[in-house]
Amino acid sequence: MNKPTGSEIRVASPLKAWASRFALLLLVGAAFGLMLIGRTNGFLVEQTRTTVTDMVTPILDAVSQPVDTFSGVIDQAESLANLQSQNIALKEQNARLLHWQAVARQLEAENAALRDLNRMVPDPGMRFITARVVGDPGGAFVRSVLINAGDRDGIEKGQAAMTGAGLAGRVAEVGLRSARILLVTDINSRIPVIVGGGRDRAVLAGDNTNYPQLLYLGPTAKLRIGDQVTTSGHGGVFPPGLAIGVVSAVSETSIRVEPFVDWAHMEYLRVVDYEMSGILDFQSVEAARAAEAEAAAAEAAQAARAGGEGPQQ
Amino acid sequence: MRQGVLHRLDGVARIISPFFVTLLLVLLALLPLRVSAIAPIMPAVALVGVFFWSVHRPDLMPIWAVFLIGFVQDLLAGGAWGPGIVGLLLAHALVVWQHRFFLAASFVLIWCVFMLVAAVAMTVTWLCACLAMMTYIDPGPVFFQYLMTVAIYPCLAWAFLRGQRLFQR
Repeated sequence: MNKPTGSEIRVASPLKAWASRFALLLLVGAAFGLMLIGRTNGFLVEQTRTTVTDMVTPILDAVSQPVDTFSGVIDQAESLANLQSQNIALKEQNARLLHWQAVARQLEAENAALRDLNRMVPDPGMRFITARVVGDPGGAFVRSVLINAGDRDGIEKGQAAMTGAGLAGRVAEVGLRSARILLVTDINSRIPVIVGGGRDRAVLAGDNTNYPQLLYLGPTAKLRIGDQVTTSGHGGVFPPGLAIGVVSAVSETSIRVEPFVDWAHMEYLRVVDYEMSGILDFQSVEAARAAEAEAAAAEAAQAARAGGEGPQQ
Repeated sequence: MRQGVLHRLDGVARIISPFFVTLLLVLLALLPLRVSAIAPIMPAVALVGVFFWSVHRPDLMPIWAVFLIGFVQDLLAGGAWGPGIVGLLLAHALVVWQHRFFLAASFVLIWCVFMLVAAVAMTVTWLCACLAMMTYIDPGPVFFQYLMTVAIYPCLAWAFLRGQRLFQR
Protein backbone atom coordinates (compact mmCIF):
# COMPACT_ATOMS: atom_id res chain seq x y z
CA MET A 1 0.00 0.00 0.00
CA ASN A 2 1.24 3.48 -0.85
CA LYS A 3 0.95 5.69 2.18
CA PRO A 4 0.27 9.32 1.19
CA THR A 5 3.05 11.68 2.12
CA GLY A 6 2.51 14.74 4.27
CA SER A 7 2.40 17.20 1.42
CA GLU A 8 -0.09 15.04 -0.48
CA ILE A 9 -2.38 15.06 2.54
CA ARG A 10 -2.06 18.83 2.85
CA VAL A 11 -3.16 19.33 -0.74
CA ALA A 12 -5.58 16.45 -0.97
CA SER A 13 -7.61 16.86 2.19
CA PRO A 14 -9.05 20.34 1.49
CA LEU A 15 -9.74 19.24 -2.05
CA LYS A 16 -11.43 16.12 -0.78
CA ALA A 17 -13.43 18.08 1.78
CA TRP A 18 -14.52 20.50 -0.89
CA ALA A 19 -15.50 17.67 -3.23
CA SER A 20 -17.49 15.88 -0.54
CA ARG A 21 -19.30 19.08 0.41
CA PHE A 22 -20.08 19.70 -3.22
CA ALA A 23 -21.34 16.13 -3.61
CA LEU A 24 -23.61 16.59 -0.58
CA LEU A 25 -25.12 19.76 -2.01
CA LEU A 26 -25.51 18.12 -5.40
CA LEU A 27 -27.22 15.01 -4.01
CA VAL A 28 -29.52 16.96 -1.68
CA GLY A 29 -30.43 19.06 -4.71
CA ALA A 30 -31.07 15.87 -6.64
CA ALA A 31 -33.33 14.60 -3.86
CA PHE A 32 -35.38 17.80 -4.00
CA GLY A 33 -35.42 17.46 -7.78
CA LEU A 34 -36.86 13.96 -7.39
CA MET A 35 -39.50 15.36 -5.04
CA LEU A 36 -40.47 17.85 -7.71
CA ILE A 37 -40.55 15.16 -10.42
CA GLY A 38 -42.70 13.03 -8.10
CA ARG A 39 -45.20 15.88 -7.86
CA THR A 40 -45.32 16.65 -11.55
CA ASN A 41 -44.67 13.46 -13.50
CA GLY A 42 -46.90 10.72 -12.11
CA PHE A 43 -46.39 8.39 -15.03
CA LEU A 44 -42.60 8.27 -14.71
CA VAL A 45 -42.86 7.73 -10.95
CA GLU A 46 -45.27 4.86 -11.43
CA GLN A 47 -43.19 3.22 -14.16
CA THR A 48 -39.99 3.33 -12.12
CA ARG A 49 -41.71 2.16 -8.99
CA THR A 50 -43.46 -0.79 -10.61
CA THR A 51 -40.19 -1.87 -12.26
CA VAL A 52 -38.40 -1.94 -8.91
CA THR A 53 -41.36 -3.60 -7.18
CA ASP A 54 -41.48 -6.25 -9.88
CA MET A 55 -37.82 -7.04 -9.28
CA VAL A 56 -38.24 -7.25 -5.54
CA THR A 57 -41.53 -9.16 -5.34
CA PRO A 58 -40.17 -12.67 -6.14
CA ILE A 59 -37.63 -12.27 -3.32
CA LEU A 60 -40.27 -11.02 -0.92
CA ASP A 61 -42.59 -13.80 -2.02
CA ALA A 62 -40.01 -16.43 -1.15
CA VAL A 63 -38.91 -14.88 2.14
CA SER A 64 -42.37 -13.98 3.39
CA GLN A 65 -43.53 -17.60 3.36
CA PRO A 66 -41.46 -18.71 6.37
CA VAL A 67 -42.48 -15.48 8.12
CA ASP A 68 -46.12 -16.41 7.49
CA THR A 69 -45.56 -19.92 8.78
CA PHE A 70 -43.88 -18.55 11.88
CA SER A 71 -46.68 -16.09 12.63
CA GLY A 72 -49.14 -18.93 11.91
CA VAL A 73 -47.47 -21.02 14.62
CA ILE A 74 -47.72 -18.11 17.06
CA ASP A 75 -51.39 -17.66 16.17
CA GLN A 76 -51.99 -21.36 16.73
CA ALA A 77 -50.33 -21.27 20.12
CA GLU A 78 -52.43 -18.26 21.04
CA SER A 79 -55.65 -19.92 19.94
CA LEU A 80 -54.76 -23.14 21.81
CA ALA A 81 -54.45 -21.10 24.95
CA ASN A 82 -58.00 -19.81 24.81
CA LEU A 83 -59.66 -22.71 23.04
CA GLN A 84 -62.60 -23.07 25.36
CA SER A 85 -63.69 -19.46 25.50
CA GLN A 86 -63.23 -19.20 21.75
CA ASN A 87 -65.40 -22.28 21.25
CA ILE A 88 -68.24 -20.81 23.28
CA ALA A 89 -67.99 -17.51 21.42
CA LEU A 90 -67.95 -19.29 18.07
CA LYS A 91 -71.02 -21.37 18.95
CA GLU A 92 -72.92 -18.21 19.84
CA GLN A 93 -71.75 -16.55 16.67
CA ASN A 94 -72.71 -19.61 14.64
CA ALA A 95 -76.25 -19.55 15.96
CA ARG A 96 -76.51 -15.86 15.17
CA LEU A 97 -75.07 -16.32 11.69
CA LEU A 98 -77.41 -19.22 10.89
CA HIS A 99 -80.27 -16.90 11.65
CA TRP A 100 -78.76 -14.28 9.37
CA GLN A 101 -78.21 -16.86 6.68
CA ALA A 102 -81.91 -17.68 6.67
CA VAL A 103 -82.75 -13.98 6.50
CA ALA A 104 -80.25 -13.45 3.69
CA ARG A 105 -81.63 -16.35 1.65
CA GLN A 106 -85.13 -15.01 2.03
CA LEU A 107 -84.04 -11.52 1.03
CA GLU A 108 -82.07 -12.88 -1.90
CA ALA A 109 -85.12 -14.67 -3.25
CA GLU A 110 -87.28 -11.62 -2.69
CA ASN A 111 -84.66 -9.41 -4.30
CA ALA A 112 -84.44 -11.63 -7.36
CA ALA A 113 -88.22 -11.64 -7.71
CA LEU A 114 -88.42 -7.84 -7.41
CA ARG A 115 -85.60 -7.35 -9.89
CA ASP A 116 -87.38 -9.60 -12.26
CA LEU A 117 -90.59 -7.65 -11.78
CA ASN A 118 -88.83 -4.35 -12.43
CA ARG A 119 -86.71 -5.65 -15.31
CA MET A 120 -83.72 -4.12 -13.58
CA VAL A 121 -80.43 -4.04 -15.46
CA PRO A 122 -78.26 -6.66 -13.72
CA ASP A 123 -74.96 -5.53 -12.19
CA PRO A 124 -71.97 -6.50 -14.27
CA GLY A 125 -70.42 -9.83 -13.30
CA MET A 126 -67.60 -10.07 -10.80
CA ARG A 127 -64.47 -12.17 -10.93
CA PHE A 128 -62.03 -12.61 -8.07
CA ILE A 129 -58.25 -12.83 -8.28
CA THR A 130 -56.67 -14.04 -5.06
CA ALA A 131 -53.13 -12.89 -4.24
CA ARG A 132 -50.78 -13.12 -1.28
CA VAL A 133 -49.66 -10.03 0.59
CA VAL A 134 -45.87 -10.13 0.27
CA GLY A 135 -44.83 -6.64 1.33
CA ASP A 136 -45.92 -4.10 3.89
CA PRO A 137 -43.73 -1.00 3.61
CA GLY A 138 -44.94 0.37 6.93
CA GLY A 139 -43.57 3.74 7.90
CA ALA A 140 -45.42 6.81 9.04
CA PHE A 141 -46.30 8.34 5.68
CA VAL A 142 -48.16 5.70 3.65
CA ARG A 143 -50.52 2.79 4.18
CA SER A 144 -50.08 0.34 1.32
CA VAL A 145 -49.21 -3.31 0.73
CA LEU A 146 -47.65 -5.25 -2.12
CA ILE A 147 -49.30 -8.36 -3.57
CA ASN A 148 -47.74 -11.06 -5.73
CA ALA A 149 -50.14 -10.74 -8.66
CA GLY A 150 -50.00 -8.22 -11.44
CA ASP A 151 -50.81 -7.46 -15.03
CA ARG A 152 -50.28 -11.04 -16.20
CA ASP A 153 -52.85 -12.28 -13.66
CA GLY A 154 -55.45 -9.81 -14.84
CA ILE A 155 -55.02 -7.15 -12.15
CA GLU A 156 -55.88 -3.67 -13.29
CA LYS A 157 -55.56 -0.25 -11.77
CA GLY A 158 -58.58 0.84 -9.77
CA GLN A 159 -59.87 -2.61 -8.84
CA ALA A 160 -61.06 -3.22 -5.29
CA ALA A 161 -59.02 -5.43 -2.95
CA MET A 162 -60.94 -7.27 -0.25
CA THR A 163 -60.43 -9.69 2.59
CA GLY A 164 -63.20 -12.01 3.73
CA ALA A 165 -64.31 -9.31 6.16
CA GLY A 166 -64.54 -6.32 3.84
CA LEU A 167 -62.85 -3.81 1.59
CA ALA A 168 -59.12 -3.33 2.24
CA GLY A 169 -58.16 -0.90 -0.51
CA ARG A 170 -57.78 -0.35 -4.20
CA VAL A 171 -55.12 -1.25 -6.73
CA ALA A 172 -52.95 1.85 -7.15
CA GLU A 173 -50.06 0.57 -9.26
CA VAL A 174 -49.71 -2.54 -11.38
CA GLY A 175 -46.48 -4.19 -12.46
CA LEU A 176 -46.09 -7.36 -14.46
CA ARG A 177 -46.09 -9.69 -11.46
CA SER A 178 -46.81 -7.36 -8.56
CA ALA A 179 -49.25 -4.68 -7.61
CA ARG A 180 -49.52 -2.05 -4.89
CA ILE A 181 -52.75 -1.79 -2.94
CA LEU A 182 -53.51 1.62 -1.47
CA LEU A 183 -55.33 0.83 1.79
CA VAL A 184 -58.52 2.65 2.76
CA THR A 185 -56.60 4.15 5.70
CA ASP A 186 -53.98 5.87 3.50
CA ILE A 187 -53.94 9.66 3.44
CA ASN A 188 -54.56 9.62 -0.34
CA SER A 189 -57.52 7.20 -0.25
CA ARG A 190 -60.97 8.61 -1.15
CA ILE A 191 -63.91 6.23 -1.63
CA PRO A 192 -67.54 7.11 -2.36
CA VAL A 193 -69.69 5.32 0.22
CA ILE A 194 -73.23 4.91 1.48
CA VAL A 195 -73.84 5.07 5.20
CA GLY A 196 -76.47 3.52 7.42
CA GLY A 197 -80.14 2.78 6.93
CA GLY A 198 -80.76 6.26 5.53
CA ARG A 199 -78.39 5.41 2.67
CA ASP A 200 -76.66 8.79 2.90
CA ARG A 201 -73.86 9.40 0.45
CA ALA A 202 -70.42 10.40 1.69
CA VAL A 203 -66.75 10.04 0.93
CA LEU A 204 -64.52 7.85 3.08
CA ALA A 205 -61.16 9.57 3.41
CA GLY A 206 -58.10 7.99 5.00
CA ASP A 207 -55.65 9.98 7.10
CA ASN A 208 -53.00 7.33 7.95
CA THR A 209 -54.78 6.39 11.18
CA ASN A 210 -56.66 3.11 11.58
CA TYR A 211 -59.97 4.98 11.59
CA PRO A 212 -60.69 6.80 8.30
CA GLN A 213 -63.07 9.79 8.27
CA LEU A 214 -66.41 10.39 6.56
CA LEU A 215 -66.45 13.59 4.53
CA TYR A 216 -69.05 15.53 2.52
CA LEU A 217 -71.97 14.08 4.40
CA GLY A 218 -75.25 15.85 3.74
CA PRO A 219 -76.56 18.18 6.49
CA THR A 220 -79.70 16.11 6.97
CA ALA A 221 -77.88 12.84 7.48
CA LYS A 222 -78.46 11.19 10.83
CA LEU A 223 -75.73 8.82 11.91
CA ARG A 224 -75.41 6.48 14.82
CA ILE A 225 -72.43 4.54 16.06
CA GLY A 226 -72.56 1.08 14.49
CA ASP A 227 -74.08 2.21 11.17
CA GLN A 228 -72.78 0.17 8.24
CA VAL A 229 -70.54 1.81 5.63
CA THR A 230 -70.52 0.23 2.17
CA THR A 231 -69.22 1.30 -1.23
CA SER A 232 -71.77 3.24 -3.21
CA GLY A 233 -70.51 2.40 -6.68
CA HIS A 234 -70.52 6.08 -7.65
CA GLY A 235 -67.72 7.00 -10.00
CA GLY A 236 -67.75 3.51 -11.46
CA VAL A 237 -64.59 2.45 -9.62
CA PHE A 238 -65.93 -0.07 -7.16
CA PRO A 239 -68.96 -2.31 -7.37
CA PRO A 240 -71.73 -1.05 -5.08
CA GLY A 241 -72.40 -2.77 -1.78
CA LEU A 242 -68.92 -3.91 -0.73
CA ALA A 243 -68.77 -3.82 3.06
CA ILE A 244 -66.12 -1.47 4.48
CA GLY A 245 -66.84 -1.01 8.18
CA VAL A 246 -69.03 0.61 10.80
CA VAL A 247 -69.25 4.14 12.15
CA SER A 248 -67.19 4.04 15.33
CA ALA A 249 -67.16 7.62 16.59
CA VAL A 250 -69.28 10.68 15.89
CA SER A 251 -68.12 14.07 17.14
CA GLU A 252 -68.61 17.71 16.23
CA THR A 253 -65.53 17.80 14.04
CA SER A 254 -65.30 14.35 12.52
CA ILE A 255 -67.01 11.04 11.96
CA ARG A 256 -64.74 8.01 12.17
CA VAL A 257 -65.20 4.60 10.61
CA GLU A 258 -63.75 1.34 11.89
CA PRO A 259 -62.97 -0.93 8.92
CA PHE A 260 -63.89 -4.62 9.18
CA VAL A 261 -60.50 -5.69 7.86
CA ASP A 262 -58.13 -7.17 10.42
CA TRP A 263 -54.93 -5.38 9.37
CA ALA A 264 -52.73 -7.71 11.41
CA HIS A 265 -53.90 -10.89 9.69
CA MET A 266 -54.18 -9.68 6.13
CA GLU A 267 -52.43 -12.62 4.51
CA TYR A 268 -54.41 -12.88 1.28
CA LEU A 269 -56.38 -10.31 -0.66
CA ARG A 270 -59.09 -10.93 -3.21
CA VAL A 271 -58.97 -8.41 -6.01
CA VAL A 272 -62.42 -7.83 -7.49
CA ASP A 273 -62.44 -7.72 -11.25
CA TYR A 274 -65.67 -5.82 -11.75
CA GLU A 275 -66.42 -5.88 -15.42
CA MET A 276 -66.81 -2.15 -15.71
CA SER A 277 -64.47 0.35 -17.21
CA GLY A 278 -63.86 2.37 -14.06
CA ILE A 279 -61.92 5.59 -13.74
CA LEU A 280 -59.38 4.78 -16.38
CA ASP A 281 -61.85 4.71 -19.22
CA PHE A 282 -64.40 7.40 -18.67
CA GLN A 283 -65.05 8.01 -22.34
CA SER A 284 -66.33 4.56 -23.18
CA VAL A 285 -68.55 4.58 -20.08
CA GLU A 286 -69.97 7.94 -21.08
CA ALA A 287 -70.48 6.73 -24.64
CA ALA A 288 -72.24 3.59 -23.45
CA ARG A 289 -74.46 5.66 -21.14
CA ALA A 290 -75.30 8.10 -23.92
CA ALA A 291 -76.22 5.23 -26.24
CA GLU A 292 -78.35 3.67 -23.51
CA ALA A 293 -80.11 6.95 -22.80
CA GLU A 294 -80.76 7.47 -26.50
CA ALA A 295 -82.21 3.99 -26.85
CA ALA A 296 -84.37 4.53 -23.76
CA ALA A 297 -85.58 7.89 -25.09
CA ALA A 298 -86.44 6.36 -28.45
CA GLU A 299 -88.28 3.55 -26.71
CA ALA A 300 -90.16 6.00 -24.51
CA ALA A 301 -91.13 8.09 -27.51
CA GLN A 302 -92.36 4.99 -29.27
CA ALA A 303 -94.31 3.93 -26.21
CA ALA A 304 -95.82 7.42 -25.89
CA ARG A 305 -96.84 7.33 -29.54
CA ALA A 306 -98.33 3.90 -29.09
CA GLY A 307 -100.03 5.10 -25.86
CA GLY A 308 -101.30 8.24 -27.61
CA GLU A 309 -102.70 6.21 -30.46
CA GLY A 310 -104.10 3.59 -28.10
CA PRO A 311 -107.18 5.43 -26.66
CA GLN A 312 -108.17 6.86 -30.03
CA GLN A 313 -108.64 3.47 -31.51
CA MET B 1 -3.83 -16.78 -10.52
CA ARG B 2 -6.91 -18.45 -9.15
CA GLN B 3 -5.92 -17.40 -5.69
CA GLY B 4 -5.54 -13.85 -7.01
CA VAL B 5 -9.06 -13.75 -8.45
CA LEU B 6 -10.56 -15.14 -5.27
CA HIS B 7 -8.59 -12.67 -3.22
CA ARG B 8 -9.79 -9.81 -5.34
CA LEU B 9 -13.41 -11.04 -5.18
CA ASP B 10 -13.07 -11.22 -1.42
CA GLY B 11 -11.81 -7.66 -1.38
CA VAL B 12 -14.70 -6.43 -3.52
CA ALA B 13 -17.19 -8.26 -1.31
CA ARG B 14 -15.76 -6.53 1.75
CA ILE B 15 -15.99 -3.14 0.08
CA ILE B 16 -19.59 -3.45 -1.09
CA SER B 17 -20.96 -5.42 1.85
CA PRO B 18 -22.08 -2.40 3.96
CA PHE B 19 -24.05 -1.06 1.02
CA PHE B 20 -25.70 -4.39 0.26
CA VAL B 21 -26.37 -5.30 3.86
CA THR B 22 -28.17 -1.98 4.32
CA LEU B 23 -30.16 -2.55 1.11
CA LEU B 24 -31.05 -6.04 2.35
CA LEU B 25 -32.29 -4.54 5.63
CA VAL B 26 -34.50 -2.14 3.70
CA LEU B 27 -35.94 -5.16 1.86
CA LEU B 28 -36.42 -7.20 5.03
CA ALA B 29 -38.23 -4.29 6.65
CA LEU B 30 -40.80 -4.67 3.86
CA LEU B 31 -41.83 -8.14 5.01
CA PRO B 32 -45.34 -8.25 6.41
CA LEU B 33 -44.89 -9.21 10.06
CA ARG B 34 -48.63 -9.56 10.72
CA VAL B 35 -48.34 -7.73 14.00
CA SER B 36 -51.08 -5.16 14.09
CA ALA B 37 -49.40 -2.21 15.74
CA ILE B 38 -45.93 -2.53 14.29
CA ALA B 39 -46.42 -1.56 10.63
CA PRO B 40 -46.73 2.22 11.10
CA ILE B 41 -43.81 2.34 13.54
CA MET B 42 -41.45 -0.03 11.73
CA PRO B 43 -37.93 1.11 12.71
CA ALA B 44 -36.05 3.05 10.06
CA VAL B 45 -33.39 0.37 9.49
CA ALA B 46 -31.75 2.19 6.59
CA LEU B 47 -30.92 5.03 8.97
CA VAL B 48 -29.26 2.59 11.38
CA GLY B 49 -27.17 1.04 8.58
CA VAL B 50 -26.11 4.36 7.10
CA PHE B 51 -25.24 5.82 10.50
CA PHE B 52 -23.31 2.75 11.66
CA TRP B 53 -21.10 2.55 8.62
CA SER B 54 -20.67 6.29 8.30
CA VAL B 55 -19.24 6.18 11.82
CA HIS B 56 -17.13 3.03 11.64
CA ARG B 57 -16.18 2.70 7.96
CA PRO B 58 -16.96 5.98 6.18
CA ASP B 59 -14.82 4.78 3.27
CA LEU B 60 -17.27 1.91 2.67
CA MET B 61 -20.39 4.10 2.89
CA PRO B 62 -19.77 6.85 0.33
CA ILE B 63 -22.35 9.55 -0.14
CA TRP B 64 -23.64 8.20 -3.46
CA ALA B 65 -24.36 4.85 -1.77
CA VAL B 66 -26.39 6.72 0.86
CA PHE B 67 -28.31 8.42 -1.92
CA LEU B 68 -29.03 5.09 -3.65
CA ILE B 69 -30.19 3.42 -0.43
CA GLY B 70 -32.51 6.34 0.23
CA PHE B 71 -33.86 6.20 -3.29
CA VAL B 72 -34.59 2.46 -3.15
CA GLN B 73 -36.23 2.91 0.24
CA ASP B 74 -38.47 5.71 -1.03
CA LEU B 75 -39.33 3.72 -4.16
CA LEU B 76 -40.37 0.63 -2.21
CA ALA B 77 -42.28 2.53 0.45
CA GLY B 78 -44.70 3.82 -2.16
CA GLY B 79 -44.78 7.36 -0.82
CA ALA B 80 -43.20 10.47 -2.22
CA TRP B 81 -39.71 10.40 -3.72
CA GLY B 82 -37.04 12.33 -1.87
CA PRO B 83 -37.88 12.75 1.83
CA GLY B 84 -36.09 9.55 2.85
CA ILE B 85 -33.06 10.45 0.74
CA VAL B 86 -32.75 13.90 2.34
CA GLY B 87 -32.95 12.37 5.84
CA LEU B 88 -30.25 9.79 5.15
CA LEU B 89 -27.95 12.32 3.43
CA LEU B 90 -28.32 14.63 6.40
CA ALA B 91 -27.45 11.86 8.87
CA HIS B 92 -24.41 10.92 6.78
CA ALA B 93 -23.28 14.54 6.50
CA LEU B 94 -23.62 15.13 10.26
CA VAL B 95 -21.50 12.06 11.02
CA VAL B 96 -18.82 12.90 8.44
CA TRP B 97 -18.72 16.50 9.66
CA GLN B 98 -17.90 15.42 13.22
CA HIS B 99 -15.85 12.42 12.22
CA ARG B 100 -12.95 13.08 14.61
CA PHE B 101 -15.35 12.91 17.54
CA PHE B 102 -16.15 9.25 16.87
CA LEU B 103 -12.55 8.06 16.76
CA ALA B 104 -12.32 7.53 20.50
CA ALA B 105 -16.00 7.37 21.39
CA SER B 106 -17.46 4.48 23.41
CA PHE B 107 -20.49 2.49 22.23
CA VAL B 108 -22.90 4.20 24.63
CA LEU B 109 -21.69 7.61 23.52
CA ILE B 110 -22.16 6.67 19.85
CA TRP B 111 -25.66 5.45 20.68
CA CYS B 112 -26.46 8.79 22.34
CA VAL B 113 -25.18 10.62 19.27
CA PHE B 114 -27.34 8.33 17.14
CA MET B 115 -30.39 9.48 19.14
CA LEU B 116 -29.57 13.08 18.24
CA VAL B 117 -28.76 12.40 14.59
CA ALA B 118 -31.85 10.19 14.14
CA ALA B 119 -34.03 12.88 15.73
CA VAL B 120 -32.73 15.50 13.30
CA ALA B 121 -32.88 13.18 10.27
CA MET B 122 -36.39 11.91 10.97
CA THR B 123 -37.75 15.39 11.70
CA VAL B 124 -36.36 16.61 8.39
CA THR B 125 -37.77 13.51 6.62
CA TRP B 126 -41.18 14.26 8.12
CA LEU B 127 -41.00 17.92 7.06
CA CYS B 128 -39.98 16.92 3.53
CA ALA B 129 -42.76 14.31 3.35
CA CYS B 130 -45.32 16.96 4.38
CA LEU B 131 -43.89 19.26 1.72
CA ALA B 132 -43.81 16.58 -0.98
CA MET B 133 -47.35 15.37 -0.27
CA MET B 134 -48.65 18.91 0.31
CA THR B 135 -50.54 17.87 3.43
CA TYR B 136 -50.05 17.87 7.16
CA ILE B 137 -49.04 14.39 8.32
CA ASP B 138 -49.64 13.44 11.93
CA PRO B 139 -46.15 13.35 13.54
CA GLY B 140 -47.25 10.83 16.22
CA PRO B 141 -46.26 7.67 14.30
CA VAL B 142 -42.98 9.32 13.28
CA PHE B 143 -42.17 9.81 16.95
CA PHE B 144 -42.88 6.16 17.79
CA GLN B 145 -40.90 5.11 14.74
CA TYR B 146 -38.03 7.17 16.13
CA LEU B 147 -38.25 5.41 19.51
CA MET B 148 -38.27 2.01 17.78
CA THR B 149 -35.27 2.98 15.67
CA VAL B 150 -33.29 4.12 18.72
CA ALA B 151 -34.25 0.91 20.53
CA ILE B 152 -33.18 -1.36 17.70
CA TYR B 153 -29.84 0.37 17.15
CA PRO B 154 -27.84 -1.69 19.69
CA CYS B 155 -29.15 -5.01 18.27
CA LEU B 156 -28.29 -4.13 14.68
CA ALA B 157 -24.97 -2.52 15.64
CA TRP B 158 -24.03 -5.70 17.52
CA ALA B 159 -24.88 -7.82 14.46
CA PHE B 160 -22.91 -5.46 12.18
CA LEU B 161 -19.88 -5.57 14.50
CA ARG B 162 -19.98 -9.38 14.62
CA GLY B 163 -20.18 -9.47 10.84
CA GLN B 164 -17.27 -7.08 10.53
CA ARG B 165 -15.11 -9.17 12.86
CA LEU B 166 -16.01 -12.30 10.93
CA PHE B 167 -14.85 -10.59 7.76
CA GLN B 168 -11.61 -9.43 9.28
CA ARG B 169 -10.65 -12.91 10.53
